[in-house]
Amino acid sequence: MNPRARIRQFIVETFFVDDFADDQSFLRSSIIDSLGMVELVAYLEKEFGIKIADAELIPDNLDSLARASAFVERKRRLGTSAA
Amino acid sequence: MCGIAGFTVPFGLPAEERRVRFGSRLRRMAASLRHRGPDAQRGLLLDGVALGHARLAIVDLVGGAQPMRDPDTGVTIVFNGEIFNYLELRERLGSHRVFRTKSDTEVILACYLDRGIDCVLDFIGQFAFAIHDPRSGVLWLARDRVGILPLHYTRTAEGLAFASEAKALFAGGWRTPALDSRGVKQTLQLWSPVVPRTVFEGVSQLAPGSVARWSDGRLETWRYWDPDFGVEPRAEVDAARAEEELGALLVDAVRLRLRADVPVAAYLSGGLDSSLLCSIAQSQLGGTLNTFSVGFADPGFDERAFQDEVARRLATRHRSILVSSRDIGELLPAVVRQAEQVLLRSAPAPLLRLSHLVRACDTKVVLTGEGSDEIFLGYDLYRETRIRQFWARQPGSRFRPALLRRLYPYLPMSQQGHELLEQFFGIGLDDPKNPGFSHLPRWAASGRIVRFFSRGFAETAAEEDPVASVLASLPARVRGWKPLARAQYLEMQTLLAGYLLGSQGDRMLMGNSVEGRFPFLDHRLIEFAAALPERFKLRGLSEKWILKRLARRSVPTTVLQRQKYPYRAPAAGFLTGVDAPGWVRELLSREATRKVGVFDEEKVARLVAKLSARAAAPTEADSQALMAIATTQLLADQLLPPAPVPQRDVDAVELEAA
Repeated sequence: MNPRARIRQFIVETFFVDDFADDQSFLRSSIIDSLGMVELVAYLEKEFGIKIADAELIPDNLDSLARASAFVERKRRLGTSAA
Repeated sequence: MCGIAGFTVPFGLPAEERRVRFGSRLRRMAASLRHRGPDAQRGLLLDGVALGHARLAIVDLVGGAQPMRDPDTGVTIVFNGEIFNYLELRERLGSHRVFRTKSDTEVILACYLDRGIDCVLDFIGQFAFAIHDPRSGVLWLARDRVGILPLHYTRTAEGLAFASEAKALFAGGWRTPALDSRGVKQTLQLWSPVVPRTVFEGVSQLAPGSVARWSDGRLETWRYWDPDFGVEPRAEVDAARAEEELGALLVDAVRLRLRADVPVAAYLSGGLDSSLLCSIAQSQLGGTLNTFSVGFADPGFDERAFQDEVARRLATRHRSILVSSRDIGELLPAVVRQAEQVLLRSAPAPLLRLSHLVRACDTKVVLTGEGSDEIFLGYDLYRETRIRQFWARQPGSRFRPALLRRLYPYLPMSQQGHELLEQFFGIGLDDPKNPGFSHLPRWAASGRIVRFFSRGFAETAAEEDPVASVLASLPARVRGWKPLARAQYLEMQTLLAGYLLGSQGDRMLMGNSVEGRFPFLDHRLIEFAAALPERFKLRGLSEKWILKRLARRSVPTTVLQRQKYPYRAPAAGFLTGVDAPGWVRELLSREATRKVGVFDEEKVARLVAKLSARAAAPTEADSQALMAIATTQLLADQLLPPAPVPQRDVDAVELEAA
């Protein structure tokens, strides 16, 4: 499974939503509450072996499935190239 | 306080037929309210109406028996509550009326005979009553201004039945209890159903500040009082004068509420409101005040240090209980049975335990501090609304939403960047004139519970949009008010009347036959506060400014300087951990969930598994969802079908026919 599908599955299982669009805002459409974001961040770090800095905790990186999966892929590419 | 019940019966029936057909229904209804009035239960069968009463004797212990009938006109009343200014009213009427008792009940009767149902406007009190007037054949129902006391009703084949609690309507056989899907959905999102709806099908509640007139098969209801937060603020008042007037009003509100023929004690939470009340009461009682508090084993919720300090400083006779998470789980079935409501928080449970302690100390009446946050803008909700309004005027500002971080220091949000918080609190920012503006972030959070609904229940309730329903219930004038005034009105209609005074207030007090009295909800004080300029209440982001100023003289500085700390109880984690009570396994099982049908068994099982597996505290969202699910399951278990009323309680109801 690609990151997008894996993250989607995590969201569905953790936050009990059935269906949502890839570009739907998690927070504005109440899919996840602000504390749920902590759960999401912890999951992304563990699942994809990345470290997310405080400065990266912004809506552009996290506030939809499309943004979160793009962010993860970006981080992983950077991580690999740095290694 | 007491319990009332009754119903209309056909006019012109022979007395014996009335007794045979309706006597036992009436006795069952009165008996089912025995917890509200253990001192006596009586029923009276009249031509056209049956009235029942369960009495907690507080004023005129000997003469105050009910139902009470005026011998000249036959006008008859059953009454739950207190008219605190009954002595003044009695004096006013005294010249042309002979009183037979010393009770406030007879004063209501006299006031009604004097000026009709408009007499409610003269009352300073908390009440729910029914008056049968045989001269016109009208049955009147009335409820106090803010909804301190409950009053429910349902249509019957014979006309109308009413009672303090829904369980009496079930005990009388007027309704087969069933969940109202709209009412349940509203409660889960708004914390209370939108009046007149309840969580039970066919059972309505009379709105606070309303009267109902039943006559010739028709029910008319209207509001005789409604808080007016849109009133023009007084321009002439300065801080010193406002403080002085507030002090005088509060002293008088407490003075009236210390009137009783039994001792009056007080709840002491360790916050500003109850500390101030206790200080005023202690000085009026000359040092004999008893105070009661809840302490929590979990230090994250415990306020005993503050409670003890205030009690020591005021030299009250202080007692407290210590409540653990395990206790809350074990109390919850009784809590739901009393509250007759779906709950999102566990906070009512410790208060049921506390009223038990009060009663065990031979005390029947307590003062309590609810209402202050609503009228003096104490809640974070108001500060949040002010910041969001400020932000909405310049949505692109980076600085404005940063103020939000100052609001919730007790929530673990500091782990996150501003931007994510902004995203959450930015809901509705594009429409600052929306009457629900203040509550949209909260409702968006609580509205997430719908994702746990079963397919069948979701379909049944699909037409119901709770936010649209509550906003549609707002009077037109409220829409024109300022944002904080609109927020106050919404808060009083939903959280205060529906939850704090009901599920967490009256029901938890009366569950152990204790009456609560609420000085801050004296309508003179509500009207006074509404007419103060906003800066006297919320100054910048400093809440309850004028009240704190008043309290400087009597409340310890440590209490005054505390960060605002809402009363909270441990979250729903206690339903899944090692402390989980026995009923959880049974009622949250797949089979039980499927049987009740409100929630999806698969998702409930996953939620329970998720919360059981994790070591960390559950998130607010998960905790609220589990509380909602558990209390819905309990509601179905405890009240559908209703438990039969014990026969010895039914036999204890004295029945009289006139």
